[in-house]
Amino acid sequence: MELYEKLRILADGAKYDASCATSGVARKNVGRMGNASCMGICHSWSADGRCISLMKVLLTNRCVYDCEYCINRRTSDVERASFEPEELAGLAMEFYRRNYIEGLFLSSAVEGSPDQTGERILRTLVLLREDHGFAGYIHAKIIPGVSSELIHQIGMVADRISVNIEFPTEDGLKKLAPQKKPAGIFRPMKQITETIADRKQLGPAFQSYPGRPSTAAHDIGYLQPMGRSELVPQPRKKYKERFAPAGQSSQMIIGAAGESDRQIIKTSESLYQGFKMKRVYYSAYIPVISSPVLPSLMTAPPLVREHRLYQTDWLMRFYGFQADEILDDGNPFLDLEMDPKAAWALRHLDLFPVEINRASKEELLRIPGVGTISVGRILRQRRVAAIRFEDLKKIGVVLKRAKYFITCSGRYCGDSELDPALLRNCLVKGEAKSNHLLPIDDNVQLSMFY
Amino acid sequence: MFNFQCSIKGPTKGADPKGPPGSAPLVDTEGIDMDYLYDGSFEGFLSCVYLHYYEEKATGIYPQDRYQNKLLQPWRIVETDESRAEKVYEATRSKISDLALKRVYYLILSNGEEKENIALGYLRLGFRMGCRVDSLHSHPLVFDAERLAQKVSKEAHLLTGLVRFSVLDVDVAEGGRDLLYAKIEPDHDVLELLGEHFSDRFKGDPFLIHDARRGKALYSANGQWYIAPLNEKALPDQSEREKAYRRMWKTYFDTIAIEQRINPTCQKRMMPVRYWKNLTEMRL
Repeated sequence: MELYEKLRILADGAKYDASCATSGVARKNVGRMGNASCMGICHSWSADGRCISLMKVLLTNRCVYDCEYCINRRTSDVERASFEPEELAGLAMEFYRRNYIEGLFLSSAVEGSPDQTGERILRTLVLLREDHGFAGYIHAKIIPGVSSELIHQIGMVADRISVNIEFPTEDGLKKLAPQKKPAGIFRPMKQITETIADRKQLGPAFQSYPGRPSTAAHDIGYLQPMGRSELVPQPRKKYKERFAPAGQSSQMIIGAAGESDRQIIKTSESLYQGFKMKRVYYSAYIPVISSPVLPSLMTAPPLVREHRLYQTDWLMRFYGFQADEILDDGNPFLDLEMDPKAAWALRHLDLFPVEINRASKEELLRIPGVGTISVGRILRQRRVAAIRFEDLKKIGVVLKRAKYFITCSGRYCGDSELDPALLRNCLVKGEAKSNHLLPIDDNVQLSMFY
Repeated sequence: MFNFQCSIKGPTKGADPKGPPGSAPLVDTEGIDMDYLYDGSFEGFLSCVYLHYYEEKATGIYPQDRYQNKLLQPWRIVETDESRAEKVYEATRSKISDLALKRVYYLILSNGEEKENIALGYLRLGFRMGCRVDSLHSHPLVFDAERLAQKVSKEAHLLTGLVRFSVLDVDVAEGGRDLLYAKIEPDHDVLELLGEHFSDRFKGDPFLIHDARRGKALYSANGQWYIAPLNEKALPDQSEREKAYRRMWKTYFDTIAIEQRINPTCQKRMMPVRYWKNLTEMRL
């Protein structure tokens, strides 16, 4: 089979993987070709608007597993192909020197056994690093069930490694991927976290926020069966080789196993806190296979829900929110019409309005329409000059949301009362105009006559 | 502390007899104020700033080749002077901040109308206030400077991803090593901002990035890079090998998009259409 055909088949099999980040590690060219930039570089954007930074391919799509949701399951009728490690390494180098890609994202179906597949992945990466002198970014996927020795060796050549949790609940995993066991997923995750922690002091995945319960007291629910030993921060050691310097990430599929948003964000919170993940990706389930246990083929992928989950993820990582504050048992789903921070603010109107010139950093971060960059600017500017309402737009604050929740030098500039129902109306109207993700109102019909 | 608040609010009596320099050029009828014309280089601009402080005040700074005479407005062509530029350079670093220096450098690389006057206004405010100028995000002068400089740095970052090289077979001249060639047409003059990144990345391969809009090119080999004028239009034909990789990249690009999520608006927002003509995957 031609290389061209293989690339088409194996890229097609990898496209549902959401991860594309190339950030988190800065490296000068220590080999013959390639470097990595800490902020990451996107090289193109495909027709679905997702960025292409890594060449995302499977090493093979010949799979021994038969997971219900997966396009490459054993019983699925798709074209099959496998790369030879040499040809994939060569292809990645040719793409890289033309600046098409920032590096390689290598995943695989399980051909033979997990260890056999793991060995072939390792061989490809070693070829790249050693024979081709490649010093760019490599993201390697760990196949559940692979031996810990192989995980270690892959971690030594890759920048980021990831194990997909696949479903946010254990039930989902049991139902849709019966051959994958929770232990097979959490054992490698735990090993990776511990190796990274052992080699360097891990920073917190979350920004510190006063009042955050300590990790020890945190309910890790679904992840409990693994018995997680506490991570004791080790003093920084001198080391030459780095194990997965860009950390580990994971991904879960949204909307296939009937889980609630609360279960999803609780699981990702535990991944961030328990396993010190750099990122958790959410992938809206796209129905590709007809099965009695899956949503029907006609179901539209839950893109808005995915978007809201990412917003929540950001709130947890950069804004000091906890999963329990955003959703509780009474409200297990996110509001699709409004961003989760605004929804939180409407439930806590007693905390608002906040005075821009006095509020602490933590309070500023919780104002809808104020992001981390704006907070930095507000804090800096108010040290030298008071901030007036007119200044906020130039600072980058989104006033159409923020104006209801702030005062500037004691003056309130919103045009609505602080009432949840009224405010909700104002916020949703403001959002609908600019958000193309939301469906168009069916009641409005185009008319040629006014 | 409250003085700064005054200067944000605009002209107040006594604070500064001439009022704060606006982002528009100041039209001042006093005979001794000058329009300075420079050669378009960063050093040239700094030489003008030097003269603004040590000789006549500048009413405006303009590139020599785009200047239009104004009635009754004296003007003067400023020779780029390395040592004067060096003095302003060091003064900016020590009296304002490294960030301010970088911002002014990016401003001069931009294609903004009045970029020199934005930079001059920003520097004048900076020399009055010191490093606190970087905190005044909503001051009109700082805001304009920050926004324009950000456009330049964003484009430079975008291009580190969007440059597409073709491998040209150069058999003899390069001693058997292939030459990588890329054409770009950036809005701002970001060519020199790409030098460091790609020289480090392609330590082993010599490459050429051609800014077709400005008729110059960045050439790099063995980690060293230079910029020289280039107006070459005829390039060797692509080899079969090169065509094969282009086709593979195009296939990859088309395959990786998920059909059920097609979203051209999002694609165009992230990757503006004006860059498409130099992208292999959008042309093939």
